[in-house]
Amino acid sequence: MHESMSDSLSVTAGHRRPPAVNAHKKREALTAYVFLAPWFLGLFVITVGPILASLYLSFTDYSLLEEGSWVGADNYVKMFTQDDRFLTSLKVTTIYVVVSVPLQLAFALLLALALDRGLRGLSFYRSIYYLPSLLGGSVAIAILWRKLFGVDGLFNAVLAVFGIEGPGWVSDPDTALGTLILLHVWTFGAPMVIFLAGLRQIPQSYYEAASVDGASRLRQFRSITLPLLTPIIFFNLVLEVIKSFQSFTQSFIVSGGNGGPVDSTLFYTLYLYLKGFKSYEMGYAAAMAWVLLLIIAGLTGVNFLASKYWVFYGDTK
Amino acid sequence: MSLGSRKKMWTVAFLTAAVMTTASACGGGSGGDGGGSGDKVKIVFSYWGSDARQKLTEQALKKFEEKNPAIDVEGDFSNWDSYYEKLATKVAANDAPDVMSIEIRGLSEYAGRGALADLAGKVPSADLDQQVLSSGQVEGKQYAVPTGVNAFSMLANPSVLEKSKQKLPDDKTWTWDQWIGLAKQISAGGGGAMGAEYNPNPAWLQIFAAQRGEKFYDGNKIGLSVDTIKAWWNISQQLIAAKAAPEPAKSAELLTAGPEQSLLATNAGAMGMWWSNQLNALSKASGQELELLRMPRQKGAPTAGMFLQPAMYYTASAKSEHPAEAAKLIDFLVNDPDAASILLSDRGLPTNSKVLAAVKDKLPPVDQRTLAFIDEIKGELSPITAPPKGALQMEDILKRNTDEVLFGKTTPDAGAQKFLSEANAAIAG
Repeated sequence: MHESMSDSLSVTAGHRRPPAVNAHKKREALTAYVFLAPWFLGLFVITVGPILASLYLSFTDYSLLEEGSWVGADNYVKMFTQDDRFLTSLKVTTIYVVVSVPLQLAFALLLALALDRGLRGLSFYRSIYYLPSLLGGSVAIAILWRKLFGVDGLFNAVLAVFGIEGPGWVSDPDTALGTLILLHVWTFGAPMVIFLAGLRQIPQSYYEAASVDGASRLRQFRSITLPLLTPIIFFNLVLEVIKSFQSFTQSFIVSGGNGGPVDSTLFYTLYLYLKGFKSYEMGYAAAMAWVLLLIIAGLTGVNFLASKYWVFYGDTK
Repeated sequence: MSLGSRKKMWTVAFLTAAVMTTASACGGGSGGDGGGSGDKVKIVFSYWGSDARQKLTEQALKKFEEKNPAIDVEGDFSNWDSYYEKLATKVAANDAPDVMSIEIRGLSEYAGRGALADLAGKVPSADLDQQVLSSGQVEGKQYAVPTGVNAFSMLANPSVLEKSKQKLPDDKTWTWDQWIGLAKQISAGGGGAMGAEYNPNPAWLQIFAAQRGEKFYDGNKIGLSVDTIKAWWNISQQLIAAKAAPEPAKSAELLTAGPEQSLLATNAGAMGMWWSNQLNALSKASGQELELLRMPRQKGAPTAGMFLQPAMYYTASAKSEHPAEAAKLIDFLVNDPDAASILLSDRGLPTNSKVLAAVKDKLPPVDQRTLAFIDEIKGELSPITAPPKGALQMEDILKRNTDEVLFGKTTPDAGAQKFLSEANAAIAG
C-alpha cells in the first residue's frame, strides 16, 4: 500500500505516462486512501481534535462540570508561582527519572552482556528477564509491591532473619519513592532485549583482532562494545526518559491514589489526574499536560543535541 | 489487474459499509432498549458500592419497574474509587444519569455548578426526618434527598478488652484523656492488641472541634483554630508515643487495606472510630459483637458534637429529559416500605418514620442495635449542613497534613497553618 502511494506521487510529480496507466495509478492511490481512512478518522477525531481542545482548555478555568471561561495564561502562571504541590510533583518525578533511568539502563546492559556470552537456553532467560517489563506497569504488580514492602511484608520478614527491623517501606515518606524506583529498575527487560540485539550487531572480528593485539576483556568492552553500542544506549535513554516521565500506575496504586505518604510519591501525571478529576480543575490539568509535553520535548531535544558528543555512528567516521 | 483493483475497491467499500451498519445497529440496539417496547420511558440511576449493594439495588429497581410498568430504570453501577470520575465525565458530556447518588461532600460541588434539579415539591418529604432532610439543601434549594443516616462513633471490640482485662467505659461521661488512658492500658496489657487506631475521616476532627465550640466549615471558610487542630493532633501523637496506636506508616497501610483489615476487625485492636453503617461489615469480619459507643468528650464541652450524617443522597439531574420519572424513583426509594424492605440499612438507616416502623422488625440484629443507639443519642446530636464546594478534597488534605505532622516532617504549628491555607483554598476555589 505504501509502495503504491509513493508510486502515484511520483506520477503526479511530472512523468508523462499513457492516460490508462495514469488512471490506474489514481485508482490505486484512492484504494490506499480508502484503507487509510479509518486511521485518519481516528487520528483527527480521537487524537488531534482532543489535543487542540486541551490546548484551548488550558487557557480556561474549565471545571468538567461547567463550561470554563477564558483566563489567559493564569493556569501557567499559578503553576510556577502559587502551587507548591506542583513543584513537589515536578521534584518527585525528576528524582524518579534521574535516579531510575540510568540504574535501569546500567542493569539492562549488564544483563545483556552476561546473556550475550553464548549461554545455553538464551531465549529462555531472555523471556524470563523480559517478563517484568510486561508486568511492571500493571496494577497487579503495584499491589504486590505494596504487600512486599509493607511493615509486615516479605522484605521485612527477610530482614528480620538478620535481626533488622525494617520500616514500612512503601508507607514511610523517606523510603516510598525508593520502592518505586526499584520497581522501575526491575522492569529492565525491554532495554535489555534491545541491548542484546545491539550486541549481536557488533562484528565478532573486532574482538578477535583485539584479542590478537592482547586487549583485556575490560579494554575490549571500553573500546569496542561501548562505542559501537552508543546508538542503542541513546535510543534506550530517550525512550526510557519519556516513558518514566509519564509513569502513573505505580504511584497511583502504591500510594492508594493520592501520591502519599506526604506527597513523597506524587508523580507529575498523578497530580495532573488529581487536579482534573478530584479537584475539578480540568483547565489547570490541561495546562499541566502541555507543560509536561514541553518538558519532555525539551529533554528529548537536549538529548539529541548532546548525542552529537557521545553517540558514535559507525558510518559517520 | 485493473479489474482486480476495481473489485478490491468495491470490496473495501462494501466492507466499510457493512462495518458501519453493524456498528450503528449495535448502538441502536443498546441505546433504544425502551424504544422498542411501546412508549416506555427510560431513566438511568447511578450509584456506587459493593457487590452486595448492587444486588440489593437491582432488586429494588425491579420492584419499582413492577409498580411503574411505563418506566424502565437502568442501574449504572461503579465502585467508589472511580465513581466521581465517571459521574463528572458523564455530566461534562451532557449525558448525566437522571438520578444520581451523591454524598454530602460532593453535594455543593454538583449543586453549585448547576448539575442538579431542585426537588422541593417534586418528591414528597413530609415523613422524612426534617433536620436530616435540610442537610440536602444548598442555598435554600432542596437539591438532594437523604438515603438514610449514619453516626460517626467509637466502636469497641469486647473480646480484645476482655483479653487485656479492661472494662467497657461509661461512654456518657468519658473524656478524650480517659480514652487515651484506656488505650494505653490496653496496649500495655500484654495481650498483643493495640488500644486504638487512626481514621483520617474529617468527621472525627469535626466532632472534636464542635466540643470546643468551633465549626469545621463556617460558611465558606474553615472555622477551625490552630489550637484545636494542634490539640487534635496531640491525641494521635500521645497514642503513637505510648504505642497505644500503630505508628503512622502502619496506619497508612491499614487505611489502604480497607475496613475489613483494620485492627478492630481483625481482633488486633480494641477501639476505632467508624461510621455506624460499617458496624455490620466490621462485626462480620471480626466475628465479635462490637459495641457502639459515643465519642469521648472534651472536659466541660458545651455539646457532644456528634451528628447524623446522611450516608448519601438521591439527586436528579438538572438536564434530565424525564424529571417526573426521576422524582418518582426517588420517591419510591425513600418513601416506599417495599423499597426499604429490600434495601434495609444498606444506604444508612431510613429516616422516613413510617417506612422505619414498617421494616424495623426485618432489620438484622446489628442494625437494630444501631437504631437503638441512634435513638439513645438523639437528644445530644448537632445539626448538620452540607459543606461547601471542595469538601470532597478535605479528607486528602487533612490526611496529608496529619501525616506530615505525625511523621515528624513538620511542626504542629506549621502543619496547622498549612492545613488551614490549603483547606481554605480548596473550598474557595
